[in-house]
Amino acid sequence: MSAESVESGTGPAPRKGVSILFGLTLLGLLLFLWLLLGLATNSFWTPNNISNLLRQGAMTAILAVGQTFVIITAGIDLSVGAVVGFTSVIVAWLLAAGVPLWIAIILTLAFGVLIGAFHAFGIVRMGLPPFIITLATLTSLRGIGLLITNGSTISITNEAFTNFSRADFLGVPSLFWMVIVVAIPAYIFLHLSRFGRYLFAVGSNSEAARLSGVNVHRTIYLAYILSSTCAAFVGLLLASRIGIGNATQAEGWELQAIASSVIGGTSLFGAVGSVHGPLLGAFILATINNGANLLNVNSFWQRIITGVLIIVIVYFDQLRRRGAR
Amino acid sequence: MPGLDEVSEIKSDGLRTAARHPVPRGEPILEMRSLQKKYGAVEALKPASITFLSGEIHAIVGENGAGKSTLIKLLTGVIRRTSGEIFWCGKPVQLDNPQEAIARGINAVHQEVVLCPHLSVAANMFLGDEINSAGLMRKRAMTEAAQGVLDDLGFNLPAAATLGSLTIGQQQLVATARAAMRGTQFLIFDEPTAYLTRQESAQLFRLIRRLQGEGVTIVYISHRMEEVFELADRVSVLRDGTHVGTRKIGETNDAELITLMINRTIEQIYHKEHFQAGETILETRGLSGPGFEDVSLTVRAGEIVGLYGLIGAGRSEFALGLYGRHATTSGEVYWQGRKVDIANERKAMDLGIALAPESRRDQGLCLNVPIGLNINLPIFNRLTRGLTINRQQEIENADRQIKDLKIKTPSRRVLASAMSGGNQQKIVIGKWLSHGAKLFIFDEPTVGVDVGTKAEIYRLFARLLENGAGIILISSYLPEVYELSDRLHVFRRGRLVASHDYRAASHEEVLTQAIGV
Repeated sequence: MSAESVESGTGPAPRKGVSILFGLTLLGLLLFLWLLLGLATNSFWTPNNISNLLRQGAMTAILAVGQTFVIITAGIDLSVGAVVGFTSVIVAWLLAAGVPLWIAIILTLAFGVLIGAFHAFGIVRMGLPPFIITLATLTSLRGIGLLITNGSTISITNEAFTNFSRADFLGVPSLFWMVIVVAIPAYIFLHLSRFGRYLFAVGSNSEAARLSGVNVHRTIYLAYILSSTCAAFVGLLLASRIGIGNATQAEGWELQAIASSVIGGTSLFGAVGSVHGPLLGAFILATINNGANLLNVNSFWQRIITGVLIIVIVYFDQLRRRGAR
Repeated sequence: MPGLDEVSEIKSDGLRTAARHPVPRGEPILEMRSLQKKYGAVEALKPASITFLSGEIHAIVGENGAGKSTLIKLLTGVIRRTSGEIFWCGKPVQLDNPQEAIARGINAVHQEVVLCPHLSVAANMFLGDEINSAGLMRKRAMTEAAQGVLDDLGFNLPAAATLGSLTIGQQQLVATARAAMRGTQFLIFDEPTAYLTRQESAQLFRLIRRLQGEGVTIVYISHRMEEVFELADRVSVLRDGTHVGTRKIGETNDAELITLMINRTIEQIYHKEHFQAGETILETRGLSGPGFEDVSLTVRAGEIVGLYGLIGAGRSEFALGLYGRHATTSGEVYWQGRKVDIANERKAMDLGIALAPESRRDQGLCLNVPIGLNINLPIFNRLTRGLTINRQQEIENADRQIKDLKIKTPSRRVLASAMSGGNQQKIVIGKWLSHGAKLFIFDEPTVGVDVGTKAEIYRLFARLLENGAGIILISSYLPEVYELSDRLHVFRRGRLVASHDYRAASHEEVLTQAIGV
């Protein structure tokens, strides 16, 4: 055992430099795509399209940030798409029942907290793998949402609520502002607070973290609650954007979120990840979809391109990591 | 030898194919010429030239971290050499992948068994080489053939049993039998007796001699001198990655080998300072828990209390129980004279107990995060101001530990996994020096640690004692606990069976108590 750990004491480049470099590469890729689309189409750099792009990417970006917390602990949250659909139903239902808007919003977010706590409970107390417990809620939440709405949709008549997603602030869509509202505290949490450090430690080796006095259970609760709460927040944004509550909305968004996170450099083995990475990942995916629409590429191709992109980016990331050893 | 013959008949094409390069007994079968392995800037094996003769038992001895594992990995194609040549049967070979090594008849039996615990013994023995007819596995034929081999070797093991249901020692025997029936020409044993009982060791030795009789070349890696002198024809010594010599067994003795291995006298390594023992820090009375029973001992300020025993004797379990990792079932713990209930790790830490656990890889370190994060892990709550961590203090503390402990790294941002065993151990220690403690529990602190770092660690113990701390030192390496402990307790099967003052008993006495003959 000794020899394989006798690795270079001087070889690997300091980690932070590498992570910044990777972030810059992603940013470069995003700008490159924008430049390319600007040259290839007349309509890309129009205010309308850019607003549209920012709106499209915003929701995935918020989901991806929450997802990243979970993946850093070496877990996975498959339920986020279902949570988005479910909470859109909850907020529509509450508003239809005449609950004041701000109470409806708080209650909806509270549902997110509860769902996340339930995931952590299943993992920590019942010993279920994260994949299983979140897969179970994925299907159950869709079912509960459909039961509540009896399979149909609930319209939202509250104009203050539905206007929000169409509004701009300082010329930027309010939905994109929501990304910033989530990203700043998320950055402080993950990169500047001790809880962020604990996420990495637990994801790397939960036993070592535990023996060093880290409350591993609390850390796991925190990660899953944050992920589900982000998803509930996106549920609110989606309900505002489409003006209805529908349990079947946001189908497959969990995979978009995971893909964004992974493209953004998060390791599915845990202990590697950032806040800016998944944000860039989400907007890269949104740009590809947007560009494909503008270029009139068959929408089936978008899925294929997304898949190829995941493989290419993660492969290069693997090469880089191996090179660093 | 019906068992082996039967197998080779059944699989005449698959097994024993490697027997096509016969080299007369006593001629070189495998030659290393200036073989070197570097990991980055660290030379794990400095250019070494060793010749293995056909049909000999060639022991390789050296301290942990001397380069033995690197050597095995080079010879079995697990890692690639940096430079140098390997000659097999007189011809230069690549040997850069495990398949090539196996095809040539080079096999290794590892200290930790690398087989599938959920499959049966027979399935494991035939793994990758199953007996098929018409595309279907002939399970019964394999079980019978495997049983034949096991019986023939005198192992008394059931071929149909699930591998995981056997002891680690028995699994080791299965791994050996597996290698034996695959037409191995060159078989490497990596410290095979570490987990074996005496009886199992004796069985293994019989098997090794028998394979030798059949012309197989054996490389036997160990640091147990008595085994080397019992088995080997020749012995090569490695020290800090350097091949320092090869001797015929009849022309050397253990004193010479030890001098070659460590290049200094015992006193120089086991740095020991005696301090006036102070107040009692910790006392356990009849403490029992999972894996240990009725343990009563005291630790005073300024003394090292050693816990010696074989692996699995309950020492680490006692440490984890004391530390609050596992709930204790009965007994009492007194901390500085006050009865305490240590319900979890945090509580132990708050009292002033630090634990450097047995396995750095599994318990001690978060490997794929930076060194700095590991060092600061126990104290992030202290480093936090308001919502965020005080970056300045975080960096200062990490850099201070790296400097004080001479951790060889360009930066605190390097991942812990990139460090050598000795440096990794220093990170674990740095973590607890950051936190501070009154009682330090060191569980196997020098496994996989090079000699120089060992000496540094022992000096550090003296510094801790000087500052009024107490130490519990757990080790399976007798000279270490023997030379360092002010009081030495011997564990056997979860119980504390004997206690000795500093150097009050002989090695033999302590060993006998640990084994329980």
